[in-house]
Amino acid sequence: MELFQDLLGPAWTPVWTLVKIVAIVLPLLTAVAYLTWAERKVIGWMQVRMGPNRVGFFGFRLWGLGQPIADAVKLLTKEIIIPSGASRGLFLFAPVLAIAPAMAAWAVIPFTDRLVLANIDASLLYILAITSMGVYGVIVAGWASNSKYAFLGSLRSAAQIVSYEIAMGFALVGVLMSAQSLNLVEIVKGQEGGFWHWYWLPLFPLFLVYLISGVAETNRAPFDVAEGESEIVAGFHVDYSGMAFAVFFLAEYANMILISTLTSLMFLGGWLSPIPGLPDGFVWLAAKVSFILLLFLWFRATFPRYRYDQIMRLGWKVFIPVTLFWILLVGLMMQTPYGHLFH
Amino acid sequence: MTFPMPDLLPAAPEILVLVMACVVLMFEAYAVRGQADRSEIVARPRVAGYVLTLLTLLAAAGLTAFTANGVSATTFSGMFVDDAMADLLKLMTYLAGIAAAIYSRQYLADRALMRGEYFALLLFAVLGMMVMISASHLLTLYLGLELLSLALYAMVALRRDDAVAVEAAMKYFVLGALASGLLLYGMSMLYGLTGTLELNKMAATLAGGVDNPVVLAFGLVFVVAGLGFKLGTAPFHMWVPDIYHGAPTAVTLFIGSAPKLAAFAFVIRLLADGLQPAHADWQQMLAVMAVLSLAIGNLAAIMQTNIKRMLAYSTIAHMGFLLLGVMTGELNGYGAALYYVVTYVIMSLGAFGLILHLARAGFEADALDDYKGLNSRAPWLAALMAILMLSMAGLPPFVGFYAKLTVLQALVGAGWIWLAVVAVLFSLVGAYYYLRVVKLMYFDTPHSHEPVLATPGDARLLLSVNGLGVLLLGLLPQPLLALCLEAMRLTYG
Amino acid sequence: MLENYFPILLFILVGLAIGIGPMLLGWVLAPNRPDAEKLSPYECGFEAFEDARMKFDVRYYLVAILFILFDLEIAFLFPWAVVLEQIGAFGFWSMVVFLAILVVGFVYEWMKGALEWE
Repeated sequence: MELFQDLLGPAWTPVWTLVKIVAIVLPLLTAVAYLTWAERKVIGWMQVRMGPNRVGFFGFRLWGLGQPIADAVKLLTKEIIIPSGASRGLFLFAPVLAIAPAMAAWAVIPFTDRLVLANIDASLLYILAITSMGVYGVIVAGWASNSKYAFLGSLRSAAQIVSYEIAMGFALVGVLMSAQSLNLVEIVKGQEGGFWHWYWLPLFPLFLVYLISGVAETNRAPFDVAEGESEIVAGFHVDYSGMAFAVFFLAEYANMILISTLTSLMFLGGWLSPIPGLPDGFVWLAAKVSFILLLFLWFRATFPRYRYDQIMRLGWKVFIPVTLFWILLVGLMMQTPYGHLFH
Repeated sequence: MTFPMPDLLPAAPEILVLVMACVVLMFEAYAVRGQADRSEIVARPRVAGYVLTLLTLLAAAGLTAFTANGVSATTFSGMFVDDAMADLLKLMTYLAGIAAAIYSRQYLADRALMRGEYFALLLFAVLGMMVMISASHLLTLYLGLELLSLALYAMVALRRDDAVAVEAAMKYFVLGALASGLLLYGMSMLYGLTGTLELNKMAATLAGGVDNPVVLAFGLVFVVAGLGFKLGTAPFHMWVPDIYHGAPTAVTLFIGSAPKLAAFAFVIRLLADGLQPAHADWQQMLAVMAVLSLAIGNLAAIMQTNIKRMLAYSTIAHMGFLLLGVMTGELNGYGAALYYVVTYVIMSLGAFGLILHLARAGFEADALDDYKGLNSRAPWLAALMAILMLSMAGLPPFVGFYAKLTVLQALVGAGWIWLAVVAVLFSLVGAYYYLRVVKLMYFDTPHSHEPVLATPGDARLLLSVNGLGVLLLGLLPQPLLALCLEAMRLTYG
Repeated sequence: MLENYFPILLFILVGLAIGIGPMLLGWVLAPNRPDAEKLSPYECGFEAFEDARMKFDVRYYLVAILFILFDLEIAFLFPWAVVLEQIGAFGFWSMVVFLAILVVGFVYEWMKGALEWE
């Protein structure tokens, strides 16, 4: 490694950083691909079906593990249609705008207490800022398509995303109060000492709000009115095809994984082991993320879709009051000798 | 890094008004709950907000008067000051608020505006003015100014279905935002120059000399331009006639009275307190603005056919007169300007109150022609209007005369004889259009002979007190004048 | 300090590349045979009539305004929450007053029906 360092000179830092980024992105993209497979499998089992089970590798079926690859290849060879009325530049830029934040947020996500690309103090602020950018992809896509379904879908979707972002933001404030830090590594370290020290317990309402808001934020069922196929076909990306559509698809699943990881880090102790004796490690984080992702799929298989007014009511009239109340309660408790209960 | 709990007593009236504004808003919010029929909600006047507003302003007046002792008390880490000038101006602000509420009640009820929003906004505006009046820090000044302005924008737009009112609100909002921007830009320059936002410290730093007079000049230009916008003095006066004309008269009454007190406080706090060492620089700007205002205000008013518009131009001229007092840069001048603004507010309340009194559902009484032959229809109202107009024109023995005289005396005392001459000349021009209203009322034949509708007794009584007060304060000018001068001496002497 | 942010910048660029790359690839690999019918906007098989950039419900606008208000509130809460232990009772109660005023506004808009979607 020192050999390379000498060889590259000043270019070493960017190159090495790039290598690290690729080391994060490649597994992430693989996870995204197999999340789509897992979704179809899990929902299949829940509905007593087989799910994809044909496409495998080298003549072996392997429970349909080749399916995501086949899907990707299919989408690659499909024409990217740009509708005649669309704003070409914005139309092509919207998917980029959707996926770039979903990727860039991973720059500050810690995988263990050492394994983090950029350990900055304002990491949570960065997450909040960069994930807010995602809504622009939706708005721009709906606008640029110049199609009524896309336009309505993007309006609904944008209003829904911003509404739940408030509840999410309040939930984050609760975590900050408990952790007294914006640094994700510090936030996880604040939860040391077994699963009853993780923040899900003292901040239980905020945990629930965050989790459910996360589902709404990613436009997943049962909050998927934006693409409600029975009324507005596919929502904001109705006029997208081929790889342009695939990028939106990638962004949605990358966001799901991101939200699950954040939930695990902030409420479920990240890489910490649930029982004090066991060693900490990345495997715990992976297990927690997988569990929350399973919840996402489970919700989709279980709940019928909400009506739009019900979604907005839940966001504004239930979540915001609940989070506000809990923040005040935590703050008040911290003024008393019982403050340590919330740390 | 623990913060000490600040002394809340000097800010007790502000806290009271804030709490009560929220209470009024909540009353309104719960009044509409569970009412399916929207039209019924809109039509029914809601009196709770009105009563609460009056009680709040009275209680705040009690608090202010009770704690007024002529000693300056600062709190909130030097951001807030309660001194003699603040007490006097705040008492006048409450008075204007109370008068505005009483005068407007019937007008609002006729137009389905008798709702909690109007009164909550009124209280928030009063709060903004109180914060401005008591500010000793650029941030507090700006905070109060924005609170006042935002409340006023919303009040102008309260009649959402009236295109003229909405247009006026839009203009007010856009120009107000521009003025705020100018002001903030100027403030940021001053901050960059002196390194402090506290007005006292700023004055001390400036007195020690500045490295960069160009920055100071730029900062001053922007700050003074922003002040000019907010005061409505030429050449930043364009919004005044449109807003006075377009706003519902009840709102015009309010905009035309109390905010002038706060604007005066703003000018004094910023220029006479924080920027006193740069007096020579801002003096000339104020002189130019004052002369332009006197000229434009008085000349343009002559051509108006709408009395609200005419009074708007008259306001511009009056604000020019006010600046003449401030620009002397002396205690006497400040005192004279304070006296001027206090008496102007009293006259303005009366004049707009009278317009409100004549208005009824579907009829605004805002054309000058509506006043033809008022004497034969309602002699007492005509007499009151005549008193107010003559006082505004600056004729003895009304209070407007003494206000102008005091300012002129201060001007001459500071050696600005040519300015005093200009002011007198333009006042003579201005007398023409005030006297025209008197002529219309007494010597012209009315369009209709139907009697003026009976209006609520309390508004009528208050109007009489207001009009006669203008006469009485003119006959006995000394106590109020002495009070104003004393307040200024206690504050900045 | 600032060099900690360099990986983030690089990651944002990589994120953009992950968006642009596949689309370029798709452009190269996929067929491109447009015709007028194919390029018309989707409208359930109907001919598309009038422009899609039409008037929309004012409530979306209202939600956007309310979002700005509340998001700003959260931005104020962030630094407060981080140092809450150090700023003591005064710091806590100041924020309570701030939140109380916002709650008044929230209750008002709730009661006035700004949050209704029927």
